[in-house]
Amino acid sequence: MSRYLDRRVVWALAQRTFRHSVESPIAYVVGLFFYGFVGGIFALNFFVNNEATTSAIGMVAPWVLWFVIPALTMGLISDELRSGTFEQLSTLPVRDWEIVLGKFLGFAMLTAILIGGLAFFSILVSFLSPQRLDWGGNLGVLVGLYLFSLSYGAMGLFASSLAKNQVVCLILGMIFCTAFFFIGQFYSVFSGTAARVADSLGITSHLDTMGRGVWDVRDLVYFLSLITFFLYLSVQRLLTRRF
Amino acid sequence: MISVSHLTKRFGATVAVDGVSFEIPEGQVVGFLGPNGAGKTTTMRLLTGYLPADDGEAHLLGLDLATQSLDIRRRLGYLPENNPLPEDIEVTDYLHFIGRLRGLHDESDRMARVKTVLKLCSLGSVVGKRLGELSKGFRQRVGLAQAIIHDPDILILDEPTSGLDPNQVQEVRGLIQNLRKHKTLILSTHILSEVQHTCDRVLIINRGRIVADGSPDDLAGSIQNLNRLFISLKGPKDDVEKALAGLPGVRRVLAQHGAFDEEGFVVESDATNDLRESVFKLATRQDWPILALQQKRLSLEEVFQVLTQAKKTNGVEEQHVPVS
Repeated sequence: MSRYLDRRVVWALAQRTFRHSVESPIAYVVGLFFYGFVGGIFALNFFVNNEATTSAIGMVAPWVLWFVIPALTMGLISDELRSGTFEQLSTLPVRDWEIVLGKFLGFAMLTAILIGGLAFFSILVSFLSPQRLDWGGNLGVLVGLYLFSLSYGAMGLFASSLAKNQVVCLILGMIFCTAFFFIGQFYSVFSGTAARVADSLGITSHLDTMGRGVWDVRDLVYFLSLITFFLYLSVQRLLTRRF
Repeated sequence: MISVSHLTKRFGATVAVDGVSFEIPEGQVVGFLGPNGAGKTTTMRLLTGYLPADDGEAHLLGLDLATQSLDIRRRLGYLPENNPLPEDIEVTDYLHFIGRLRGLHDESDRMARVKTVLKLCSLGSVVGKRLGELSKGFRQRVGLAQAIIHDPDILILDEPTSGLDPNQVQEVRGLIQNLRKHKTLILSTHILSEVQHTCDRVLIINRGRIVADGSPDDLAGSIQNLNRLFISLKGPKDDVEKALAGLPGVRRVLAQHGAFDEEGFVVESDATNDLRESVFKLATRQDWPILALQQKRLSLEEVFQVLTQAKKTNGVEEQHVPVS
C-alpha cells in the first residue's frame, strides 16, 4: 500500500460515490432541470433567433450550474455525517484525504456525464446548420464548463462537510460559488490593481477565455488551485472530527 | 495486545474520558459496562482512532495509536454504536466495498472472505437485498460481518445487541461466542447480563473513569454482598417504614411501588442476613398482612450506586478499584 495515498481505496470510494449518485433521484431531477433550462435557451436561440451557434450554452450554463453543482454535492459528506456512516468509514484503514478525493472523483465522473451531454447540442448544430461549427471553441466551452463545475464541486464538497443538514450545505455551497462567480462580474466596479485582482479571482473570466477557444495555462492553474484549495479545506474540516 | 495509559478526552469543559488505564491480553473478551454517557463509546472511538486523545497513550498490537493509527486500523474491526449502514446498497456489494477499503484488493481473496462471513453471520437468506430492506437483527449481522471481513486481530463492538428483540439478542450473542475463539474482543453494553454471558472480564466505566475491573463472577460476588427485598405490608406507611428500618442488619429502606402498584419498601441488608423471618414475625406481631415479599434484582445503575458508595465509605473514591 502506498505510504501516502492508496489509489485503489480512492477508486473504490469514487465508484461507490458515483453509483450512489446515479441511483439517487436527486441526480435525475437536477439533470432534468439542467438540460431543460440549457436546452430551452439553446432552442430559443436556434429556432426563434435563427442563430446556429452553441455560444448561448456557454453563457447560460454557468448560471444554472451555480445551483446544480451545490445540489449534486450537498449530500456527499453531510449524508455520511447525518447517518453516522462517516464514523465507520473513518475507522477503516482510509485516510481523510482518500475519503475526500474518492468523493470528489465520484462527483467528477457524474459531472463528466452531465457536461459531456451538452455535446449533443454541438452535434445538433453541426447537422442542422449550413455554417461550419467551430469545434475548437465548442470543445473549449465544454472543457471550461467541466473545470468550472469541478471547481464548484470542490466548494460544494467543502460545504457538505460543514453541516449534517443537506439544505444548509446547499445554501453554503451556493454562497461559496456566488462569491467566486460575482467577484469577477463586478470587477468593473474597481479600478487599477483591484480590478485586475477581482478579474483574475473571478471564475467567469477564466471560463470566458476557454470559451473563446483560447487555451491558457493560467486558466488551468486557476481552476486546479481552486479545486485543491477547497479539497484541502474539506480534509482539514474532517480532521477536526467535530460534527 | 492492548495497553492504555491515562487516556483522556475532553469536549469543551466536559471530560468524557478521564485518565483511563487498562491492559487487555491477547484473546480476552472484555465488556465495557456503564450507563449512557459514561464514556464507553468515547473510549472505543479513541481506541479505533476515530477521535484523537487529548492526553495519555494507547498501544494496540504493539503499535502506537497516535502515530500508527492506520496500521492498527488494518488489523482492527469495529461495529459502531447504532450500527450505521448505507441504505441503498446490496449486502454482498457492501461487504465487497468494505473489503476493498480494508485492503482486500485481490478479487478472489475478497470473494472467499465475503463467502466466509456471509456463512459465519448467517446472511445467506438476505443476499441480493439492499441494507435498507433488512430487519434490525440482519442489519446487526451485516455490521458484524463488515467488522470481521478482513479477519482482524482485535474486534471492538459498541452495544452490539442494542435495540434487538430477545431472539435477535441470542443470535448475536451466539455469533460473538463464535468470534471470541480467535480474537481479542471489546464490547460495550449497559446490560449486565450481556457481560455475564459473554465476557471474561468487565470494566465498569462511570463519568469517564474506570470504577471497577474484574471478572463477571467477581462483579456478581460483589453484588451478592447485598440482599434486597421488596416488602409490602398492609399497615400505616410511616410505621411500617420505621419498623422495617429497625430490623436487625438493615442498611437502608427505600419507598417503592410494586408490580401491582402496591406501596412498599425495598429493604437492603447484608447478604448473610436473611430478613424474611424477621419480616414475617414483624407482620404477625403488628397484624400487618403481607401483600408482597420478593427478592429484588439489582439493575446496573444500582450496581453502580453500590460500588461507588462502597468506595466512598472506604475513602478511595475516584480510584481504580478491582471489584474482587
